[in-house]
Order: sequence, then C-alpha cells, then structure tokens
Amino acid sequence: MGSNEFFQEFEVFSKKTSKAAFQHQFSLLAPNAEMAMVMAQENFLRREPVADIWVVNRKEIRGLNYEEKQMLNRLDNKEYRTTKGYGYLKKKWRHYEQQMLDEKEILSWGEK
Amino acid sequence: MSSSVVAETEEQKYEQFMERINRGEQIEADDWMPEDYRNALIKLISMHGISEIMGALPEKEWVPKAPSIQRKLGIMAKVQDEMGHGQLLLRVAEDLLKPTGKTRDGIMQDLFTGKLKFHNVFHMPAPSWGDAGLIGWLVDGAAIITQTNMLNSSYAPYSRALHRICAEEVFHAQHGESIIMALAEGTEEQREMVQDAVTRWWESLLLFFGPPSSQVGKSKQDITIKYKIRPKTNEELRQAFLTKYVPRILSLGLEIPDPTIRFDEEKQEWIYQQPDWSKLKEIMKNNGPKSQERLNLRRVSYENNAWVREALGQIS
Repeated sequence: MGSNEFFQEFEVFSKKTSKAAFQHQFSLLAPNAEMAMVMAQENFLRREPVADIWVVNRKEIRGLNYEEKQMLNRLDNKEYRTTKGYGYLKKKWRHYEQQMLDEKEILSWGEK
Repeated sequence: MSSSVVAETEEQKYEQFMERINRGEQIEADDWMPEDYRNALIKLISMHGISEIMGALPEKEWVPKAPSIQRKLGIMAKVQDEMGHGQLLLRVAEDLLKPTGKTRDGIMQDLFTGKLKFHNVFHMPAPSWGDAGLIGWLVDGAAIITQTNMLNSSYAPYSRALHRICAEEVFHAQHGESIIMALAEGTEEQREMVQDAVTRWWESLLLFFGPPSSQVGKSKQDITIKYKIRPKTNEELRQAFLTKYVPRILSLGLEIPDPTIRFDEEKQEWIYQQPDWSKLKEIMKNNGPKSQERLNLRRVSYENNAWVREALGQIS
C-alpha cells in the first residue's frame, strides 16, 4: 500500500483554558481523525496545559493563496469604524470635569 | 507594494519572491518559490528531521541504563521530544515535496539507501553515562546554535517548527547540564567519565557545523544565506559555539583535547586545531563507527511496524 492514500493531513488546534481562543499548533499525518487526535497530544501537547483540541482534515480547509491575501490589505482610513476617530472626546469630557468611558473602562464593568 | 499583485512570467515571480524575502516577509508552503529554494529547503529540512529521529537512537540506549528513576524519566522525555521534532520537520519537508509526489515513505527509503544523510554526531558511539550527559549539554548545545540561527528563516513553516523545537531544546540542554554537573562534582571515576566524553566528542562537535566556506557562490551554505534561510556561515556558527561553551567546559576543570585552542583578541576569533575533515566525508557515506548499526535498527523497526500502518489504514 502506498503511503499516498494511507496518510491524511490534519491541522491541529488547541486551547490552554476553556476561556481561551483556539490556537493553531501544527500539522500531522494520520490515517484517520481518531489517530490524529492521539498523535496531536503526543506530538504537540506533552507539557503545556490544554483544555480542548481540534483536529481538522486539510481537505476541509479553504485557505487563501498569495494573490488573494493581497486583497486583505485594509483601506487606510477606517477611523469612522474605530474608537480612534472619537479620541477627541477625552479632552471634551475633561472640560466638563468628567472621565471618558473608554474601552478599558467599559470592558471592566463585566468584572464588577 | 512596489510590484504588481499578480506576477505573470517566471522572471516577475522570481523578482517578486526576492522582493518579499528582502523585505523580511516569510514564504508559505503554497506560495510560488524558485526551484533551487525549494530544493535547498527539502535537503536541509529532511536531513534535519531524519537526524532528530536518528539522534534518538544513541540516547535511547541509555533509557534502560539511567542511574535513577528521575534520570530515566528525564531522558525518556527527551527521546520522545526528539521523535516529536522529527515529526514536525518531516511534515514541513513533506509539504515542500508535494509537487514532486514524494511522501514520508520516500524519505525513509532515501535514508535506507544512503541518499539522505543524517548528522555526523549520530554516527558516533555513546558508551558511558557521561556521553548521555554530553549529548544533551554539548551536542544539543551545538544544535541550538544552528537552529536559533534559522528561527527567522524566510520559510515560514520551518521558522514556526524551529520556534517549537528550540523551546524544548532549552529543556534538553539543562537536562544534559544537570547530568554533567552531577558527574563533574562527583567521584574521581565520575569526573573521568565526563573528561573521556569531552575528549571523545570534541572532534565530532567541530565537524558538526560543516566545513568553512570555500568557493563562494557554489556551496549549499551560500544558497541558504542568499535566500535568507539562515544568516550565519558554518564558521561563524562554530565560533559562536566555542565562545559560549569553551569557558564553561574549562570552568568545570575539564580539558579540551586541543592544546592549541585560544581566543585571538586581535582577530576576535578562536584559533583551534582543524578536525579531520576526511572523517566527515566517510560519515556522509554512512561509514561512521555506528552508521550501519543504527540504520539497520531504523530499517528493522520500520519493517516490523509496517503491519500497524496497514492495520490503521483499514479504519476510517
């Protein structure tokens, strides 16, 4: 049997804690998804803590080639979509003796 | 972007490729690349990957003979890491080989027929526990120098693999240092064991980095430097190794088997006795002291495990 049809390529993703985002680890060869899962742990996750693992057959992944990646370059003026365009408010609020409710402040409310 | 997005001719593609790597961009497996770049990478990375696997063999000899349970666990973990590094690197090589239709099986066959080489140090015997320690300390130390030299390699998948590998190599180096330190601070017999290992391995360590550049523009190392796969020459790497390790070896009261070795302050370089380069040539023909024995071990285990690969292939 040629190893051509025997091995399939899997990409391995894992996350360190249940809250973390999945991170790409590396790829491996395995005859099926079950073996890929075993090998993912053996190959890439021998030391660091791990909360979850995905193995994805490469056949199922649609990626971008070099030419397509060039289309990802952002237009340079996106200020109207970001808080950067409203940075002047900080100074305004200071004038009214109020603090700006910025991203850091607003996201901290979830912890309270 | 200075060049047009879609390159049409081979020349334009080559130009765009060179612009990209000169800008410090990294190349991905599916990107266009010149044939000699691909071939240089295949040669380098498949040799590196196979060397990791062959390198596990002299070390695994010491797993059953390690002097304590802690040492046994440590060296077992290291041997497993080396096999893991082999897996990572073979994946990188396989993706590069894809247009040629060659697979992992082909890489193994090349090893068995002698077409694919493995690193000189893994053709050598490791007769004592001192050798097991020395391999971790100085052989891995030398490997760390060559591998960190390529951490920012122009080929992205290799660079990513090396980041993983080098992080684990730090553990290997300290594992080796710990063995050496215990022996160096031990009995007279233990000290001799370390000294014998240093004496035995010194020449191999110098050979490890390869010959200094001779004809510029022709050798393998010039291609890898031109394409920014690595920045430093063989000799620069050997010098870096000597700078880092000679003082450490001497500080433990060990002797280097080269009475002429010294650092020349004026030239800012190490002056040392050249190793016997003909030995490297013999090893490259798999005529080293342990070449055939270890190749045979690999061959037998590959054949004996064929049924596992076949059986697993039936389940899907």
